[in-house]
Amino acid sequence: MLSLRQRAWISGGLSALVSMAVGILLLYSFLNQRESDRFDRALTERHTQAVVALSYAADDPARLAELLFDPQYQTPFSGRYWQVTSPKGQVFASGSLLGASLPGGNRAAASLVLQDAANPDVDEVRIAAQRITLEDGNAWVVAVAESLAQLKADRRDLRQSLGAAFALVAVIGLASVLFQTAAIVRPLNRLRRDVARRWDRDEALSAAEYPEEVAPLVGDINTLLERNREIVSRSRRQAADLAHALKTPSAILRNELSVLADGKQDMGKALDALDRVDAQLARSLARLRTANTGEAAQAKTDLSRSVQRFQRLFGMMAEREGKTLSVACEPGLVVRMDAQDIEEVLGNLLDNALKWCRARLSLEVRRAKGGIEVIVEDDGPGIPAADRAEAVRSGARLDTSKPGTGLGLAIASDLLQAYGAGMVLEDSPGLGGLAVRITLPSRGVRGPKKG
Amino acid sequence: MRILLAEDELVLCDQIKKLLVAEGRIVDIANDGQEACFLGTTEPYDMIILDLGLPVRDGLSVLREWRSAGVATPVLILTARDGWSDRVDGLDAGADDYLTKPFHLPELAARVRATLRRSSGRSNPLFQLGGVAFDTRHGRATLDGVPVDLTSQEVAVLSYLIHNSGRLISRTELSEHIYEYDGDRDSNTIAVFINRLRKKLGPELIQTVRGRGYMIDAA
Repeated sequence: MLSLRQRAWISGGLSALVSMAVGILLLYSFLNQRESDRFDRALTERHTQAVVALSYAADDPARLAELLFDPQYQTPFSGRYWQVTSPKGQVFASGSLLGASLPGGNRAAASLVLQDAANPDVDEVRIAAQRITLEDGNAWVVAVAESLAQLKADRRDLRQSLGAAFALVAVIGLASVLFQTAAIVRPLNRLRRDVARRWDRDEALSAAEYPEEVAPLVGDINTLLERNREIVSRSRRQAADLAHALKTPSAILRNELSVLADGKQDMGKALDALDRVDAQLARSLARLRTANTGEAAQAKTDLSRSVQRFQRLFGMMAEREGKTLSVACEPGLVVRMDAQDIEEVLGNLLDNALKWCRARLSLEVRRAKGGIEVIVEDDGPGIPAADRAEAVRSGARLDTSKPGTGLGLAIASDLLQAYGAGMVLEDSPGLGGLAVRITLPSRGVRGPKKG
Repeated sequence: MRILLAEDELVLCDQIKKLLVAEGRIVDIANDGQEACFLGTTEPYDMIILDLGLPVRDGLSVLREWRSAGVATPVLILTARDGWSDRVDGLDAGADDYLTKPFHLPELAARVRATLRRSSGRSNPLFQLGGVAFDTRHGRATLDGVPVDLTSQEVAVLSYLIHNSGRLISRTELSEHIYEYDGDRDSNTIAVFINRLRKKLGPELIQTVRGRGYMIDAA
């Protein structure tokens, strides 16, 4: 599909071309006609002079050269000629003919005839010729001619200057098309920027700020943005409600089973089944969350602030376990992710590191090529390279010696994938345990499309 | 030690209360946010267990109100919301710990003990003074290594005095921390409990400051 700009250029270019061609054609034929008329009038004028001169000098035609005084009649082959033929066929001619004769200059009708003619001596000329019958009854043929070379040169000049003028007009026309296109497309470009900006700020677009042709579109976009936001928040609320509705009864059931187990009844199978239910519940809820995130919830989050929040939480949790959390984070980092999603990622990674570390864990957040890099390291046992792919698979638990659903890394990985971000498990160079390295889409950098 | 349990699920309330009472705690129950807010602001609890998904008022706003009103009681948040953002929100609102449903009761009991210990500044769950040893984890006492049988009210009195060891506790304060909200408060019966404890654990453990109250020396 052609862009609006392309459409404007093509239609503007075509209309400029057509109007230029028509303009040149009309103007050229008009000016050409005028030039030819002027030429013919001058030629007729000269013919009249020749006729007048003849009426004085019919007795002594040799005097004609004196009476028709024009330097160009004297200059050889100047392009301006006259030729008079006596009733007896004797020819008198201007000096410029140098004894040559005009093509068809001996025959003529009783009325004045103007026509183009040519011969090798004088090239192309326009001849005005007439048979004149004097008072004594003798019929003379009077012809004057003018070379067409000058007329042709003038026409060529005219064509060239017309072409130049219209080329200038065309350039101005195209420039104005560009300008108009820009002016028309500007509100649309602004709309696009505004949609991205206002979405982040949770604001609606104001239709009054746009031209009336675009305003209905703005209204539609508002409705869409609103609906999109509503869908995301509704499905999150549903997930939360579902979590609440299922987890409390599950807690009650677990507690009752524990009481029975304490009463020496074998509740092992029932408790195992409940563990499976809980794990499946946690997994499904995590999936539900991931399904409603990514591009659907395009938002920006102050990552530095989230890191501070988690520094407080995990600093406290680590301290209670006699462990140390060190945090290094550049200020003012913004990621193109929903706040809950990035915090879910951070929480799961830190929780995992805290669970497995011996004494120290660290969180480092910094600007890097292609976004913002987050590295969580610990001094725990790490994960062998061969098992790393398995560790990020949903529900896989490599080691069941620590409590938990085994979903932490998998949830983080799923969430990151929804944003087109990746997660790499490595050996920690500083602490010796596991290092989880992720690169988040930062502000202004759009993540790849989902799916 | 007197604990406020704010939870709307009655069966779960019952289970948690049983667990805590078995450890010698006094438990008040609030079934909605408004009631929880009122009790937490007006009663001197040693700890509050707060469900975030309470009806009428949500737990987080109740917690914020307590903290802005200067209520410093340690709060353990109990919730079905297991998102990390929710946990940090809870902590930022002034919670001391966080437990997500479904949880194991022993885990809750351990968190409650740890929270109470932290708030009293004690790091050791075992209290030892003279021949008397008291395990705050399950409220069991021994005298010279021999287990002593204590009633739940005796455990409540002893436990409060030990958590506040080194500090003089008035009869009124003691009664506020060992009776339920709608319980029959009679500060005279406190003297009865103290006497029984002295008979069971020896006369030196609890000192009486005449007209002012009781005290156990810091171990």
